[in-house]
Amino acid sequence: MGRPRAFDEDEAVRAAVGLFGGRAYDGVSVDDLVAHLGVHRNSLYKTFGSKRGLYLVALRRHIADDVRPLLDALAEATDAATALRLVTSADLGLLLLAAIERSPVDEEVAFEVTAALDSVDRAIADALGVPAALATALTAAALGILLRGNPDKVATALAQHLGPLT
Amino acid sequence: MALIRIADDNLVVVMEGLDKFWAFKSRLTIPLANVRGATVDPGIATDFKGIRAPGSHLPGVIIAGTFHHDGDKVFWDVKDASKAIVVELADEEYTRLVLQVDDPRAAVALVENALV
Repeated sequence: MGRPRAFDEDEAVRAAVGLFGGRAYDGVSVDDLVAHLGVHRNSLYKTFGSKRGLYLVALRRHIADDVRPLLDALAEATDAATALRLVTSADLGLLLLAAIERSPVDEEVAFEVTAALDSVDRAIADALGVPAALATALTAAALGILLRGNPDKVATALAQHLGPLT
Repeated sequence: MALIRIADDNLVVVMEGLDKFWAFKSRLTIPLANVRGATVDPGIATDFKGIRAPGSHLPGVIIAGTFHHDGDKVFWDVKDASKAIVVELADEEYTRLVLQVDDPRAAVALVENALV
């Protein structure tokens, strides 16, 4: 398959996760990608096809690197307070940006985001033994707290109010 | 400037006005199956473009025609770099097309949505 790639694809994708997670999709130009990923323009197009192609690879990488460990940690959770703490302290920057700005206009992004959030819901439902709808409500609350910058005592107040769930 | 549209599972690119003269080509028809994606890329015109054959590069005026770069064959039709888009191809004569379009964002959406 042609000449070997003159760049570390793995590293480039990880750098793309950081760039796309830090600012809006439209705020990241191909010039930015070339400058920050250590990839020539030609290689970038040849490898990923388009900026959107790279974005999808980066989003899947973010889910594998940052959401999957969260699922593993959630599997060990025994109460709502722990589940809330795990979600509110996870690095979900790109997932949240994708949910807000790209999901409404890009079916493939919407599919990845929905699958990732569903997996968080399921992990919480399984770990705490609560109904799916309640697990989804907990994820929604946790993501809201995360978006608000995880202010002091908020997650704790919610967990205390909820008390034992089962 | 280039006009792009989707017709019968093809991406059709039509060079307007004198561009067909500078580019040595008036129209390209690419099966959508061979289109990998499209990207808004105003910065590409300042990158190295390679050796032209046959093509026209009048700096500040127009980049048009066929350019060879790193083993890739790239088709250009750009006067105003701020409106450039890149269309990446597979199994085609050209590796990629760099085209000036009226509305880059709409053109990219048109191509990307046709690929889904």
